[in-house]
Amino acid sequence: MSFGDFIYNNLVQFWQLTGFANAEFGNFVMLAVGLFFIWLAIKKNFEPMLLVPIGFGILIGNIPFNAAAGLEIGIYEEGSVLNILYNGVAAGWYPPLIFLGIGAMTDFSALIANPKLMLIGAAAQFGIFGAYMVALAIGFTPDQAGAIAIIGGADGPTAIFLSSKLAPNLMGAIAVSAYSYMALVPVIQPPLMRLFTTKKERLIKMKPARAVSQNEKIIFPIVGMLLTCFVVPSGIPLLGMLFFGNLLRECGVTTRLAKTASNALTDIVTILLGMTVGASTQASQFLTPQTIFIFFLGFMAFVIASSSGVLFVKLFNLILPKEKKINPLIGNAGVSAVPMSARISNNLGLEYDPSNYLLMHAMGPNVAGVIGSAVAAGVLLGFLA
Amino acid sequence: MKKIISTIALALMLAAAPAVSAQSRDALRINEVMVVNENSLVDEYGNPGAWIELFNSNFAPLEISKVFITNDPANPTLYPIPLGDVNTKVPKRQHVVFFTDGEPNKGTFHTNFTLIPGQDNWIGIYDADGKTLIDEVTVPASLLHGQSWARTADGNGEWAVRTGGDHDYITPSSANVIRDTNSKIQMFADRDENGFGMTLMAMCIVFSALLLLCLSFYAIGKIGGAISRMNKWRSHGVTREEARETAIADHDSGEEIAAIAMALYEHLNAHDAENTVLTINKVKRAYSPWSSKIYGLREVPNHTHAK
Repeated sequence: MSFGDFIYNNLVQFWQLTGFANAEFGNFVMLAVGLFFIWLAIKKNFEPMLLVPIGFGILIGNIPFNAAAGLEIGIYEEGSVLNILYNGVAAGWYPPLIFLGIGAMTDFSALIANPKLMLIGAAAQFGIFGAYMVALAIGFTPDQAGAIAIIGGADGPTAIFLSSKLAPNLMGAIAVSAYSYMALVPVIQPPLMRLFTTKKERLIKMKPARAVSQNEKIIFPIVGMLLTCFVVPSGIPLLGMLFFGNLLRECGVTTRLAKTASNALTDIVTILLGMTVGASTQASQFLTPQTIFIFFLGFMAFVIASSSGVLFVKLFNLILPKEKKINPLIGNAGVSAVPMSARISNNLGLEYDPSNYLLMHAMGPNVAGVIGSAVAAGVLLGFLA
Repeated sequence: MKKIISTIALALMLAAAPAVSAQSRDALRINEVMVVNENSLVDEYGNPGAWIELFNSNFAPLEISKVFITNDPANPTLYPIPLGDVNTKVPKRQHVVFFTDGEPNKGTFHTNFTLIPGQDNWIGIYDADGKTLIDEVTVPASLLHGQSWARTADGNGEWAVRTGGDHDYITPSSANVIRDTNSKIQMFADRDENGFGMTLMAMCIVFSALLLLCLSFYAIGKIGGAISRMNKWRSHGVTREEARETAIADHDSGEEIAAIAMALYEHLNAHDAENTVLTINKVKRAYSPWSSKIYGLREVPNHTHAK
């Protein structure tokens, strides 16, 4: 072999390893999706903390490469760095860590002061099971239907946790769908809230919540964990970490731990979770007809969840005395997109009455939604795993 | 007193430690036995022989070295499973087979005793102390050539004869029950085609869990409120009856608390007039030899003056 042949052969071999030689149409579609997510996050400020890592992860995961070369670079290739980072998603240990952070940064006072708001969080979980029925009708198997339906809980970590257990092959689509719709909560929910409420109902002013003592705040995570986990032990990873994080926050003697859990740890896990979920959407795995169905079902689940929360409040008002009526605009907050959906309740309330601040009231069902979706995930896991 | 309690607690924890360790080996089970094997499983030398299958019923790997296998109740430590073999770590819910050929020099998985066809064979496994029986089984003498004596389900269930037929598999080193579908999912697919049953059950559970939490916190709120009221009465130096008569407010309203908090804030953070406070903070730089001035300066030689 001449020196020229040697150079030529190696350059040809190198060309075959480049993204240009291995690119397929699907890669470009997914790269466009990734860029769209980044644009949404930066330009439109839609959930930037989630969409920037996911969007960039999609770019990382869709760089074409020669998988047959065995270079251990793909997220699905055992031993690759991305695969090691992806273990937190695949084995389901990132979501409980995120829940630890959520617990450490959530103030459950609104819920403790007015415990009946917990029931709104339970009612909104109907979105999950409504979507489950639709998914079965479309032709998904019960385990796949359960994994897809959890999108209706509007809780990304829960969706990832459950899909990693019930339908790992659909996890990428489910996670991206869940986070996309969470980012679109300000677009999806207000029309539904207007549709299902009358002007008179939107003007209902709720009594300010009572002050909650420190002791109650400390008892809440302990009793909450014991009760919910005794009912649904399969929810222990999520509920246990959620309430543990909250105890760190409220007990007053672990401030450093609570700060770490709610700041540094959550940020680190969010970065890794978002990036690896994004990278898991390799075109070959992601661009399938199933993904379109999953996005459709996710949308259905969000619509049903938001509507059922609002309708449940209207129903609940029928049995409540006049001075204790609940403004149905906080019903949408039963989905656990914290705190976006509570903020939407507040904004819509202010739109109709500039003195009607609903934020603190809406935070009750909002955090109940977090607990409710984790319980629902535990139920699905218990029945279908 | 506190020291005594702490010491007792520590002692109890230490005493519990070996129990916890033993508990995991406790989950080791004799799962299937074949006494006469002429054309079934062969060992690594290509020889068929009688075998005992053990099953780790834990949901975690289990190290089984130090455990004893025996066919003699009078000699519980007959065959100690050797130390130092990586294969004695049995993965979760997995199986390991020992050939009972009486030739332990062939390797870890060859016992130093044999099973005798045509008579009842008692087999026991003992924990590392050689005294604690973990599991035992008596294989009936009626077992024929090529048949195994197996549990109906891995790790538990009744024992039954396996003949090797279509629905009666002999399964050394694998599960005694071969499932080709997930029975739970299959059940939901068959019995709950439209998902209504799942929805009904799951929503009931979700509502029950949150209702339970809701009721608990009503109760806790009431009890907490009562305790606060009592503390308040006590601080005012009045009894419950007097408090009712003098109508001391049960609790301060949110507005009152906000007004007090605002007043305290104003009092503690009083400034003359300015809205903005300029502060000059000392900027701390972390020390690094790369940025140290000492290393950037030439040292001045020491002059020593001769006297």
